[in-house]
Amino acid sequence: MASFERSTINLPFRTAAAFGVACACFVVIALRLWYLQILNGDYFRARSENNRLRTVYLPPPRGLIYDREGRILAGNRPEFNIELVTEDSPDPRATVERLATILDLDPNTLVAQLGGQKRRRRFEPKLLVRDASRDMIARVVARRYELPGVVINVNPARDYLHGDLAAHVLGYIREITSRQLDLPGFSSYRSGDMVGHYGIESQWEMDLHGERGIQRVVVNATGSKIGESSFEPEVPGRNITLTLDLDVQREADTALQKLRGGVIALDPNNGEIVALSSAPRFDPNMFTHEIPSDTWRELVTGAERKLSNRVVQGGYPPGSVFKMIMAVAGLSENVMPIGERVFCPGYYVMGARKFKCHKHEGHGWVDLNDAMAMSCDVYFYTMGQRLGVDRIHDYASRFGLGSKTGLKLAEENAGLVPSSEWKQRRFGQRWYPGETPSVAIGQGALVTTPLQLARAMAAVVNGGFLVTPHLVREIADTERHFHEEFTGERGEIDVDPQILRQVKRALLTVVQNERGTGRKAQVDKSFNVLVGGKTGTAQVVSLEQGARHKHLQDHAWFVGFAPEEKPEIVVAALIENGGHGGTAAAPAVRQVMESFFKKRRGAAVAAPGNAESGARRGSP
Amino acid sequence: MSFSSHTSRYLSHVDWALIFSTCAIPLCGLIVLYSAGYDPESEGVSIDWLGLTIQSSAFLKQLVFLGAGSLVLLLAASIPTSFFFRIAPFAYFGGIALLTAVLQFGYVSNGARRWLSIGGFNLQPAELMKLGLVLMLARYLARRPPPPGGYRVTEMIVPALLVFAPMALIAKQPDLGTALAVGAVGVGMILFMGVHLRTLLTIVTILAVMAVPAWQFLHDYQKRRVTVLFNPDADPLGSGYHIIQSKIAVGSGALFGRGYFKGTQSQLEFLPEHTTDFVFSVLAEEWGFVGAVVVLALYVLWIYRLLRVAAKARDLHSTLLVTGIISIIFFHTIINIGMVVGLFPVVGIPLPLFSYGGSSVMTTMAALGIVLGVSLRRFQFANK
Repeated sequence: MASFERSTINLPFRTAAAFGVACACFVVIALRLWYLQILNGDYFRARSENNRLRTVYLPPPRGLIYDREGRILAGNRPEFNIELVTEDSPDPRATVERLATILDLDPNTLVAQLGGQKRRRRFEPKLLVRDASRDMIARVVARRYELPGVVINVNPARDYLHGDLAAHVLGYIREITSRQLDLPGFSSYRSGDMVGHYGIESQWEMDLHGERGIQRVVVNATGSKIGESSFEPEVPGRNITLTLDLDVQREADTALQKLRGGVIALDPNNGEIVALSSAPRFDPNMFTHEIPSDTWRELVTGAERKLSNRVVQGGYPPGSVFKMIMAVAGLSENVMPIGERVFCPGYYVMGARKFKCHKHEGHGWVDLNDAMAMSCDVYFYTMGQRLGVDRIHDYASRFGLGSKTGLKLAEENAGLVPSSEWKQRRFGQRWYPGETPSVAIGQGALVTTPLQLARAMAAVVNGGFLVTPHLVREIADTERHFHEEFTGERGEIDVDPQILRQVKRALLTVVQNERGTGRKAQVDKSFNVLVGGKTGTAQVVSLEQGARHKHLQDHAWFVGFAPEEKPEIVVAALIENGGHGGTAAAPAVRQVMESFFKKRRGAAVAAPGNAESGARRGSP
Repeated sequence: MSFSSHTSRYLSHVDWALIFSTCAIPLCGLIVLYSAGYDPESEGVSIDWLGLTIQSSAFLKQLVFLGAGSLVLLLAASIPTSFFFRIAPFAYFGGIALLTAVLQFGYVSNGARRWLSIGGFNLQPAELMKLGLVLMLARYLARRPPPPGGYRVTEMIVPALLVFAPMALIAKQPDLGTALAVGAVGVGMILFMGVHLRTLLTIVTILAVMAVPAWQFLHDYQKRRVTVLFNPDADPLGSGYHIIQSKIAVGSGALFGRGYFKGTQSQLEFLPEHTTDFVFSVLAEEWGFVGAVVVLALYVLWIYRLLRVAAKARDLHSTLLVTGIISIIFFHTIINIGMVVGLFPVVGIPLPLFSYGGSSVMTTMAALGIVLGVSLRRFQFANK
């Protein structure tokens, strides 16, 4: 241990000096206390008597959600909450127990509810019963003298006017979770606030939420209000106008009644989504209250997977719907000139393998229109073989398959388009030519969402550009100051428009030809509109086992467009385990299109059940 | 102190005034905390043999902190002072490393990045840095005492850097209050050793001139805290709220206070942070000028007795160690009370041994343990 020389330092002097400085500082403080407490004590005591600020938070009404015609889809209604100001109650526990007796509620839950809000200050009301019924309110008001400190406050609460209509688009709101409260984005939120958890409600939370108002009320020693010291009014959330059409949406929901699947209708020219329905649905109103955990579990993990948005998140093989992209690729790469015919004996031989056509007796000689109309597999096996998987991958990618569309409604499924590079990366193996035929008819490793196929169809029929599917038309605050307006961005697909017209013609035959597989998609003839499109039947295959589940039927697809010249609407329908696309999915598309044209054309009554006679002129 | 008989040596050299002030301050703190943290709705803890229920979680937890702190104090006292000499570089640079880490990985609370989370335990490295700086400066200055007349510029470059590095890192979090407190502790230690008068005057002049451009570097909220100090009513609900409410609390206490449990500002919770940073307001409100001055006197007595330990330590290193610890206690006390009575801007600095808070109590107790160790070893002249 070193010893330190301190001869140069006059320690007694230095400690005395330090003490002197310290004392001087304390004297300054004491003088300040003298000034505040003795000289101005009366003044401050008067201020403390009268200047008691209570902070009252005013919850902002949440922004409304409208359909494209200004009809309210999600609104607000008054909600009556029974709350307790503990400071005004001589014995809060006894009061809560008394309240429980009056309302026939379990006293322990109410006491626990009160205990969970410790962080709130004593003069702030603490929530006891959210959204109390009229009967409960009446009972409390009638006996309020037995319930000191109990108050009834009115708050705006979310109201989804049409129940489960468009549930997967609108989403729902719930009380903010403690995990969210810790996130930087939610720093202005307090526990008990409602926050969007799904769909538009979640994606546009920051616009819809608004800002709470802060009122500081001056109260006297007994708690009575004697004035307002400041008032920052609440700022209501911004209103959102969607591109959805309530009537078309309702029809889409109805078309999926008692089924599992998804329907999407969009404008092929700008990407506005007119209807988006996923089934089974849920009622977003039920999330406003505490929901039992088993109900919650059933919603999230149950076999029905009600919360999953099948249009955006569901990945399915496109089946024969993929043939529209095959046709574009085959014509563009000139591997199958437009007039060439292929003979379909009902199977296609490649090496030692035999690939079956869905029509085992064969289609005979078929050209592009026949092959599309009857969905001949052999024609497209041949085309796929000539193209090779990588050129198929190239065209599928141009039409947006295998990547997200950018609709941030839910965690979007990007799907998958296989290629030799993908095979190498994923499995470390080269691509075998024998794998190409199943991709050519939309099976194999292909995965698509209804949203992707609707967008791809839009690109085929709109003259050749990719739209950005979107749901929000405009966001405006209550004074109708527009904050944002949305128009679809376009992406080029770089395909000869002449070829797209030929493919579009082939797609028309699917519905118009008397042997077409999609005849049930034709709308009532009174609309004077021709429908085109493509059926698809996606085999339900477990990729892991490569074995077909016998107890499961195939998924049914139909993706259609109308009218024939300048299409105004594209509708994609997927029915899980629905069987054949032409019988299960095409009628759903017809139903949605009829409701759409009924408005657009102002046209006649939709006469149900006579779609068969809808063709004005049949294509050969 | 002179030599005394061996038998009564320890007893007669026990510094009763130091023990009295060291115990009286946290006791007063507990009394005030019981009222400040009183919550009639809490379950409370009943003490059967006294027949009462304690319904103040701040009081109960502080009691636990003080109990645990006493053990920390005894532990620190049993460590030989030479040990602190040896570990000083590790403590100092370890603190610097933690401060760097907190800027990288620390989590953000109230817009500042101050906390490190290690295994579920939250650590504020700036608190540890204060002790680290005291150890390091004590070691450095003890080996280089000033020439007659005091330090000049060249001799102060290294100590100034030692003070400035942690200050800059803490200011970057940003936590200007703690940065200035760290700076004050370092400067206090250097000044205690003595600085040449002309050098001192030159430095003060330069700093005064530089203060103007430095103002530009402050965050808006920091500027607001300073301007609001002179005119709190300009922003009565924002930055001025703390100052106004605290001044009302202090002022309304008048001469004898509003009485125990009767302070409306604190009981009705108009006063923010009334168990931690603003606990002195509660004292002044409920016990008045008399109570506040009694506690001030206790702090003066405490610092006086601590300075005596510094003066009578057996070597310069021990003296510097104690002086540094006194600096920490003194600056915290003055800044905290100065803030409460509206003389300083609002910064998050607790009142030593009075404010509720585990890390504040623990570090103060550890520091006091070091002082106790120095005091007990003042007659060991083993190597001389």
